[in-house]
Order: sequence, then C-alpha cells, then structure tokens
Amino acid sequence: MAVQGVEQTILRDPALFYWILFPITVVMILTGILRHYATVLMNTPPKSPSTLAESRERHALLRGVNLRNHAFAVLDREAFEARKNYLLSGYRSGAFLKDPNNRGQPPANPMTDPQGMEAMMGMLKGNMMMMIPQTLIMSWINAFFSGFVILKLPFPLTIRFKSMLQSGVMTRDLDVRWVSSLSWYFLNLMGLQSVFGFILGSDNAANQMAQQMGMANPAAMMNPMQPGQDPDKLFLAEAENLEVTEHFCILDGVEERVLQNFATA
Amino acid sequence: MAFAEAREANGSDLISALHLSQQAPTILGHDPANTGVAPSTSSADTAEEYGQIEQLLLACLRTGDDKSAHACLDRLNHRFGASNERVMGLRGLYQEATAKDQPALKKCLEEYERILSENPVNVPIMKRKVALLRSLNRSSDAIAALIQLLDAIPTDPEAWCELADLYQSQGLGAQAIFCLEESLLIAPNSWNVHARLGELLYVCASSPDGDAPRLAGKSVQHFCRSIELCDDYLRGYYGLILASSHMLEKDYAHDRPSEAAIPSKKTLVQLKSLGLQKLGDIVRSRSVDDQHWASSRSELIAAKELLNRFEKSQ
Repeated sequence: MAVQGVEQTILRDPALFYWILFPITVVMILTGILRHYATVLMNTPPKSPSTLAESRERHALLRGVNLRNHAFAVLDREAFEARKNYLLSGYRSGAFLKDPNNRGQPPANPMTDPQGMEAMMGMLKGNMMMMIPQTLIMSWINAFFSGFVILKLPFPLTIRFKSMLQSGVMTRDLDVRWVSSLSWYFLNLMGLQSVFGFILGSDNAANQMAQQMGMANPAAMMNPMQPGQDPDKLFLAEAENLEVTEHFCILDGVEERVLQNFATA
Repeated sequence: MAFAEAREANGSDLISALHLSQQAPTILGHDPANTGVAPSTSSADTAEEYGQIEQLLLACLRTGDDKSAHACLDRLNHRFGASNERVMGLRGLYQEATAKDQPALKKCLEEYERILSENPVNVPIMKRKVALLRSLNRSSDAIAALIQLLDAIPTDPEAWCELADLYQSQGLGAQAIFCLEESLLIAPNSWNVHARLGELLYVCASSPDGDAPRLAGKSVQHFCRSIELCDDYLRGYYGLILASSHMLEKDYAHDRPSEAAIPSKKTLVQLKSLGLQKLGDIVRSRSVDDQHWASSRSELIAAKELLNRFEKSQ
C-alpha cells in the first residue's frame, strides 16, 4: 500500500503527453465529429404515409386520445356522446384500418415487411455507427499504448476509483491519482458530450434541421405506431378506454367562476 | 393557430407585413443562392433563418414585392430542393399570387391535381388546393377537398377551423360548430377558437329556427371560457356583451338554474356589466398606446362603437 502522507513520485517522460495523451484526445474528438456527420448522412427521415388511408390509420388513435383527454374542456354531453359513439363504432368495425379486409390476420413479420425492415435497418445503422469506431480505437490504444501511465490528477481520490482510472495497469501500490492511457480513452468517451455540443451546436442541431423543413405539419408526420404493432388491437384497446370515460364539462358554471375571478382580482 | 382567425388578424395587420417586406433587401442581402456560390457556412444554416425567409416570402407576396418573393423562394429551393413538400406548397402560393387571370389560376389547379395524383398525401399542396378552390368561388368543391384532407389527417386544428369558416360561408351553422369543436378538442386552450365558437353559436342563436336559448347559453359559456383563458381578449368581452344582452332581451334566462347551459338572469346582468367595464378598460388603455395596437385598430373602433351604443341606451 502507498504510505499515507508521502507523495508518490513517478518520473514521466514529457513526450508521453505529446505522443499519447494529446493524440488520444484529438482522435476521440475527431471521431465524434465524424460519427455525427456520418449519422446525419445515413439518417433516413421517418417515412410519411403514402396513401390517405394509411395516414388515417395513424391518426385515428390520436383522435380517440384527444377526445378522452380534452372533451371536458369543450363538449357538452350530447356532442360528447355523438363523437364517442362514432369513434367506438369506427374502432370496433375496423373502419379506420388501412386495409379493413386484412383485419384479424396476424401482423406481418417485421423481417419480411419492407417497412419494418427499414425501421430495423435504421436502428442497426445507428448502433453500428457507435460500435465500429469504438472497437477500432480501443484496439488501437490497446495495441500501442497499453500500460502507460500518462497523467496525474491534481486532487486525491478514494481507492474505489482505481478500476476506473487505472485499467490496463496492474499495479496494486500505485496511487489512484495516476491515470492510464486506456482509462483516459474511457474518460474521453464518456465525457466529451459537452465538447461535441459546443462544436456541433447544442443537441446536434444539424441533425434535425433537414427534417424540420419537411414537416409542414408535424402532426402529419407523426406515427404513434411502432412497426410490427397491430393497429387493430390498439384501436380495440382505445375503444375500451373511451367507453369507460365519464363525461363532465368545465363549461358548466363557467359564468360564476369568471365572475368570482374578476370580483377577487 | 386558427386559419380563419389568422386571416382576420392578417387583414388588419398589413402594417407589420409592410414593415417586414421592407426589410427584404437587408435580409436577402447576403444571399448565397443569387451569387451562385454554394451555401456557405458563414450564414447560419438554422431553422429560424429559413422560417424567417418563409415569413418574408409571405409578406412580400402580400405587399406586391414579387421580385423579393421570388428571391426568397429561390433560396428555399436551393437549400431544400424542389421536391420538398413545403417548398412545393410555397411555390404554388407564389404562382397563384402572380397569376394574371382566371385561366392562369386554373392552370395552377391542374398542376396541384397532377402533384396529388403522384403523391396523394402531400399536405401543403392539399391545403393550397382547398384555398385555390375557395378563391375560385367553388366552395362546395373546396369543402369536399377539405373533408378528404381531414378524413386522412383528423388531427389538424387549422384545417378544422378552415372547414368551419367554409361551412359558415355557406350558411351551415351546425356543421361549422361541429368543426370548431373538433378543432378545440385538439387544442383545448386556444382562447381565440373558443371566442370564435361563441360567435358562431351567437349567430346560430339569432336565426329563428333551432334551439335558440340553449345555443345562446352555450355561446355565453364559450365567451366566458375564452376570457378565463386570456383575461384581456377584446373579442371575448365584445362577444360576451352581445350574447348576454341578447339573452336578456329575448328573456331566455330563467329564475332558478334548472338547465345547466342557461345561466340565471342575475348572472347574465352581472356578466354584461363585467364585460362593459372590462371592455371600457381595454379600450382606454389601448387608445393611449396607439402605435403598439395599430394592427388591431379596427377591433378597437368596433369596441368603442359598442360601448357608445350601450351608454346611449341606458
């Protein structure tokens, strides 16, 4: 164990800084930026519906949710019942489905359904974008710089940080303040987010920019349904929710409320 | 928010549109598209900037500065490509605005039909088509096209408001009320739509047939809700005064609250005096700060007239 109160000194070659610490940091930042632009390039915007019926299928569910959540602010009992009955019969009979004839059949396998395939490819691409550079850089560091102690932190730390700061250096007695090259890589990997935010603009704005213009109407692009989900089941569940909704209206007594508000104000 | 509201607001808001369009040269001054250079990184490539250019395009079209409008359109085209749906919609708007005569407008319509036959869910073009049909005075066609749009996208509050406006222009009050209610279901806190619905109900209540007392009662309720949501909304107070005095005149009020939608006479009297007092306050404060409220001057004048009318009658 390190003797308490005695400063551990290790003589380091200053070249360690120029040839390991600095290159790792630069490489990490550059890959981060490169990855960002690669993601932007390969990102496919969410597909907008191609037919009117498909668009209706997407939005029909939202209509039920809206009615459930907002009816109390607008509708009187009569209007609410009329809308409820319309939506209930629509959900139950499958009138809102893209293809009412296909009702009851199991949903298409996402592996064969081209649309599901596309969504899965998107996810895969995103994951690959993270995985490949990380594997490469880590093996690069492992091959060339493993075992180097390159940095001394200016503040003391408890023994628990040893595994975090000194991975790749198997020395039990080394003070926790010394940081190994592999650990420096991990610290960079986790901690550079704010640097990227600074360089690329907050929240990687370039990423969303191209899509924003495409969305004349954000509601039209929204797809509440995940690929592989059966809209019919969602509709039936929504119909059940709708059926148990109790009607009340905040417009009842609004006159007195307004008078009271202004009397006290 | 609401199409119909926006049009009315814009109608009186020519002043600010003019101001904006006069800035066209400065905003478009550093224009990479015109000089033939690819969009450089020096000009900020942000959503706000392009939103601003879109606004400028609309303002220029309204003030007759077609040249600047075309420059704006070029710039959007340059950045987003001609096949972008929103850019297509804006280009359609530009062509409509610069069309010389009816045949030119008809040609625009044919163009829209062609685009829609390729991609039936091109929302901006669908909306342009409705607007064009309306300006060609083919209201029933416009209604049909809008219903088709709403059938596919029933969660678009703007479209519901526009449909309500179209129905009202055809004298179909009940349908218009339904549409505004749908719009409110999507955006329940928009006080302007509440007030608009109140106006519609008031108009329907004034017509002889139908369940007038109930409609008038609901109208008062919606005006109240509008005021509750925004306590210096001029149209809300204006409507509240009209609707409550209408109910008092026709003696719809009852002495004890048996039906929920119809308030008692005492409440109505109180509401009316509250409305008159608040409207007076608003008119006074806004007349002082005239320049700031320049865009809604016509509303102010109408409010003053209403107040004078009630002062005389008392």
